[in-house]
Amino acid sequence: MSYEPKIVGFLCNWCSYAGADLAGVSRFQYPPNLRVIRVMCSGRVHPAHILEAFRNGADGVLVAGCHPPNDCHYISGNLKAKRRVAMLKKLMIQMGMDERRLRLEWVSAAEGEKFARVVTEFTNQLKEMGPASMKAMAVAEDD
Amino acid sequence: MTDFEPKIIGFLCNWCSYAGADLAGVSRIQYPTNLRIIRVMCSGRVDPALPLGFLAEGADGVMITGCHIGDCHYIDGNLHAKRKYGLLERLVAKAGLEPGRIMLDWVSASEGQRFADIVTGFTDQVRELGPNPAVTDPCVKLNLMAAKAAAAEYRLRALVGKEEKLVTEGNVYGEEMTQEEFDRIMEEVVETEFTRNKIRLILSVKPMSVKGLSAETGIDSRIILDHVVALRQRGWVDLHEVQGNSPVYRAMEVQ
Amino acid sequence: MKAVGAVLVLGGGIAGIQASLDLADAGFKVYLMDKEPTIGGVMTQLDKTFPTNDCAMCILAPKLVGAGRHPNVELLTYTEIVELKGEEGDFTATLKRKARRIDPEKCTGCGDCARKCPVEAIDEYNMGMAKRSSAYIKYPQAVPLIATIDKSKCIGCGICAEVCKAEAVVYDEEDVTFELNIGSVILAPGFEAFDPSTLTEYGYGRYPNVVTSMEFERILSATGPYRGTVLRPSDGDLPKKVAFLQCIGSRDERVGNSYCSGVCCMYAMKEAVIAQEHNPGLEATIFFMDLRAFGKEFDDYYIRAEKEHGVRFIRSRVASTRQVPGSRDILLSYVEDGEVKEESFDIVVLSVGLNPPHDSAELSDAVGIELNRHGFAKTSLFKPLETSRPGVYVCGAFQGPKDIPDSVAQASGAAAKASKGIAQERGKLITKVEYPAEKDVAGVEPRVGVFVCHCGINIGGVVDVPDVVEYARTLPGVAYAEQNLYTCSQDTQDKIKENILEYDLNRVVVASCTPRTHEPLFRATLREAGLNEYLFEMANIRDQCSWVHMHQHEAATEKAKGLVRMAVAKARLLKPLEKPVIKTTPVALVIGGGLSGMTSALEIADQGYEVHLVEKAGELGGNLRHIKYVPTGENPEEELWKLVERVSGHPNIEVHLGTQLADAHGYIGNFESTLVSERGETVVNHGVAIIATGGVEYKPTEYLYGSEGVMTQFELEAKLHKGYKPDTVVMIQCVGSRCEERTYCSRVCCTGAVTNALRIKETNPDADIYVLYKDMRTYGFKEDYYREAADRGVIFIRYTDEDKPIVEEQGGLRVTVTDPVLREKVAIPADAVVLAAAILPSEDNAKLAGMFKVPLSKDGFFLEAHMKLRPLDFATDGVFLAGLAHGPKTLDECISQASGAAARALTILSQPTIEVDGAIAKVDEDRCSGCRMCEHVCEFNAIEMVEDEEGKVRSHVIPEVCKGCGVCVATCPSGAITAGHFTDTEILSQIITALQEVEA
Repeated sequence: MSYEPKIVGFLCNWCSYAGADLAGVSRFQYPPNLRVIRVMCSGRVHPAHILEAFRNGADGVLVAGCHPPNDCHYISGNLKAKRRVAMLKKLMIQMGMDERRLRLEWVSAAEGEKFARVVTEFTNQLKEMGPASMKAMAVAEDD
Repeated sequence: MTDFEPKIIGFLCNWCSYAGADLAGVSRIQYPTNLRIIRVMCSGRVDPALPLGFLAEGADGVMITGCHIGDCHYIDGNLHAKRKYGLLERLVAKAGLEPGRIMLDWVSASEGQRFADIVTGFTDQVRELGPNPAVTDPCVKLNLMAAKAAAAEYRLRALVGKEEKLVTEGNVYGEEMTQEEFDRIMEEVVETEFTRNKIRLILSVKPMSVKGLSAETGIDSRIILDHVVALRQRGWVDLHEVQGNSPVYRAMEVQ
Repeated sequence: MKAVGAVLVLGGGIAGIQASLDLADAGFKVYLMDKEPTIGGVMTQLDKTFPTNDCAMCILAPKLVGAGRHPNVELLTYTEIVELKGEEGDFTATLKRKARRIDPEKCTGCGDCARKCPVEAIDEYNMGMAKRSSAYIKYPQAVPLIATIDKSKCIGCGICAEVCKAEAVVYDEEDVTFELNIGSVILAPGFEAFDPSTLTEYGYGRYPNVVTSMEFERILSATGPYRGTVLRPSDGDLPKKVAFLQCIGSRDERVGNSYCSGVCCMYAMKEAVIAQEHNPGLEATIFFMDLRAFGKEFDDYYIRAEKEHGVRFIRSRVASTRQVPGSRDILLSYVEDGEVKEESFDIVVLSVGLNPPHDSAELSDAVGIELNRHGFAKTSLFKPLETSRPGVYVCGAFQGPKDIPDSVAQASGAAAKASKGIAQERGKLITKVEYPAEKDVAGVEPRVGVFVCHCGINIGGVVDVPDVVEYARTLPGVAYAEQNLYTCSQDTQDKIKENILEYDLNRVVVASCTPRTHEPLFRATLREAGLNEYLFEMANIRDQCSWVHMHQHEAATEKAKGLVRMAVAKARLLKPLEKPVIKTTPVALVIGGGLSGMTSALEIADQGYEVHLVEKAGELGGNLRHIKYVPTGENPEEELWKLVERVSGHPNIEVHLGTQLADAHGYIGNFESTLVSERGETVVNHGVAIIATGGVEYKPTEYLYGSEGVMTQFELEAKLHKGYKPDTVVMIQCVGSRCEERTYCSRVCCTGAVTNALRIKETNPDADIYVLYKDMRTYGFKEDYYREAADRGVIFIRYTDEDKPIVEEQGGLRVTVTDPVLREKVAIPADAVVLAAAILPSEDNAKLAGMFKVPLSKDGFFLEAHMKLRPLDFATDGVFLAGLAHGPKTLDECISQASGAAARALTILSQPTIEVDGAIAKVDEDRCSGCRMCEHVCEFNAIEMVEDEEGKVRSHVIPEVCKGCGVCVATCPSGAITAGHFTDTEILSQIITALQEVEA
């Protein structure tokens, strides 16, 4: 059996989750590797959530929120998500992880096709990269 | 072409026509050897996609025979056969093939002679037409494949399946629908579905732009674009890449 | 007088929806009627909205859903009005519900009928550029989400009835005429885009690459025919050059539309910018007469479009288009700088104007109102929301062409008007749902009930539902699991309730579609069964599983199991949450005693609530005191006097003159403000505040202002009023506006100049009047006065920033300006030079903004919660704004906004208590270090720092204000904040279960 990456996706309720729904309504097909966790705002996603996902065996983590600067239902939560993801990517590099395993995307409620495309691309990319090495995480934990 | 011997496929219903053919044999009635018979339980089973498939693969003629109206073992299977044959005629015309390469007739179990006469007549008629152009002309072959695909798709099957009821009993609102009205609707849908399936087949061979498709089919690029919009909506076609200023589309694998 | 506490709103576009929500929230029964099968109107078809480039559907969808499930709003879709009898307060409307031929009670909106319908019809939603079926749902987010059979296209084959598992198809349904008893009516039927096919010179309908702006919206839209990539309709190629032609069907008496449609300049710029975004490298050119970017921050958008995006602007009206044979490019010929030029484009977009609905004459007959000469509802300057029939109000584009925020403001205003006469009936016709007492689940082992939906074949056709149910039964905590054909159907709701009781369930998981549309339904079911509504979780196995993995049955089934596992894991951890109840003080504080403030105060006071009206000056009236003439002929002084008299004598209004706000704190429903005046300090407790502090006229430093004969328009009006009769007047526009220091347009000055010019012409027809302008921005019906002035000999000369007029004093005033037609300088000796001085924000704004913790725009005006759909609200609940405090605007616009702000305030004042969402943040004070990071990240000021007895400062979430986004939770370095319903433990349980393998 070919390798199937496991992806955890944190989607904000107002834009990206709605965009994912629209992908469904429009029947845009994408690989079934993603598991979605709905949060009210992408700004709710704590770096620990993302790290926990990796620690539990995720090969990739997707964070998706409303387009900046004005689409955020909570004014600026998406900008906070942006900063946190940028910070975490740096941390991942330090931990010896491939920062491409963490992906931030803006998906509006009208972008069903984009959502499907993002999931497809990300899944294919992770397939190419192969399974995530948990060693880096384990080492980090021992420290 | 005097020595041309056409290949003919015959769909015979089990209860009347196949029995009629057997009777021709029992009675030692002679007829040409060109026919290859496919037994089906009912002439209503003959989905237009089946004869179109044979024609695309090079059969020179296809005949369908069933029970006489009123005699059908399955009550009204032959009425449906007639409706489906109507669609077959339309699609054959769309594909640009001579109408004389297909026929539908009724043969009862007691009509051995009639069966032999029909086979002889049809064989002569097809011999006269010469070989199926699909064998040498890839355009005709493509058209026939598009016609087959269109016939196999949901929309035409749904409409033809409802034809008998709509035209004879009226629609769900209790309104009458004349044959002419139905034919008008059918003709439009056949044209649309034929063209869309043709586009899809072309794209399954090679991704192309709207303009490329227009050149390939001789259809105005504006109309091609409308079809591409519809095909994308169905998930049959998607954007492949952009070449210069032209988005190029490819056919999606449909499972 | 009999009064009925219900309102009929005609038209379910954004205006109708806003009016309905405001009325419903204020305790009135609302019937929201639309002739279409769904509400939403034109906005649903728009791609993005100016000036923020927000995605239209993203911001509209929550309002659609809100209107769809509001207990006080009854949707009457696919319905038309036949007749309106009775009088203000007690009308009887005769309505005709067209046969939808689908039973709305049974239809689940699954869309199977649409997919199996063999008929193909023109898709009006996509402006004819795509096809839809005869059995159809207009767009995916439709509310109500119910299919409709388009009888005109249906051939009656009967397939939809055969495939509908819900048995919702009713072919023999007929139109039904019925009557409604209501107290008021609001008309919000909107507009129709002008049809340019009659203008043969543009080739629309003949040349495929000439499209209307509405078609272009769909071309731009990700949900449109081309999926958001701009393509040439003639051949599907990517266009390189797109031209926009303005004023198609506007400012054009040949087609009978002399008015300006007001929105086209902005939408053309937006479409140009978005087209470039979607097709990088695309060149956009806009051909226009006057660039009318008069709204809030619109000129900034104009500047960005030109400078940052490189949109080319050509000031010329294109006379005709020609199609180039072969390429089907479009050749435009136009005159620029006196030269005839030709240029070819790939696509030409006709910026079509706004027409009244084609059936506006029938509508006006049916409801008995007068139309103006343009076919829109007739209203007047000081009564912009009132039609000719008492009790019938109007808002949105049917009142006159306008953009979305102005429509929304008017809609709220119309809601205030419509509720005034029936205020005493508030709350009498609405349904209050009583729920049984909640079962205590504290300390009880979770017993989860799982309901897996087939959704006809939408889920069941892909996912092995029985297998998912079997799997659910093996999950920890699951006490019961079953499958349903449609979990959302009414009979399943009853079954869920029975099962909750029978199996003693204390958590419920539904695996079906999306919580975005269906969670409220299931939550209500839980409440009816005596469970706290937050003990519910959904697994989205349709929209995000079966529909997107249609050909992968096994993988989709595995994923569905995974989603159910995640939902069950979270459900086991769910805690009952209490919805905070806010007590409200039914008192309003209105800050500013000008036209807006007085209007707001009266609207609220007339409905029986106490108002404190605070005015800094010693008398009421604000800027209205300076206005002597209006173009429409009313007497502003008389109107002012009437208003002041009503306000001063109103028993519910306490006027505080010479008073300012010294301090304000509190939150929605419970504010405490300190007023100071010479008489001392007063503390006022109030539930809401409306900021209507107005603006001030700019004191020019340019054009020799201060010299004899140089004056502002206000000063001119005062002089004219005293009999001043100048012979030669030069008016200079945009003095202090649209300049480097102040990029915005002051909106009113063009109309003001035209009004005063006409006034001078009236008393002195031989007077020579010159108006020196950059763009004449007499938008809407005001265009008629511009034309009248030109007809009466007022001379309009355009100047540019590079070549501004020069005013000199040489034994008299002399103005030199370059005439763009003659292309030479002309010197005009003038008796009076009149400067259109900018409107500046009030200097108190910053102080007030600080007190109420609300933001200011870069120009110093107050910044509303959302520029498009919340023009009168602040992100801080309970504080509203109106009038010039929001930005420059005309008298009627101030009145609409002020009434609207009152309506928004009344939604709070009218409720003794307000229930807000319970899924909010909470601080564990023992863990809080008082670092204030949460306070900084909260955009809603929901976090306050409280000092405890030991003097330690700790964070505290004000439950009434918190919106539940969870940003503070993710920010807190001490982990002291939890987000209700989205706790870290709950999210972690989802993460862990998401990554577990399914054991076969």
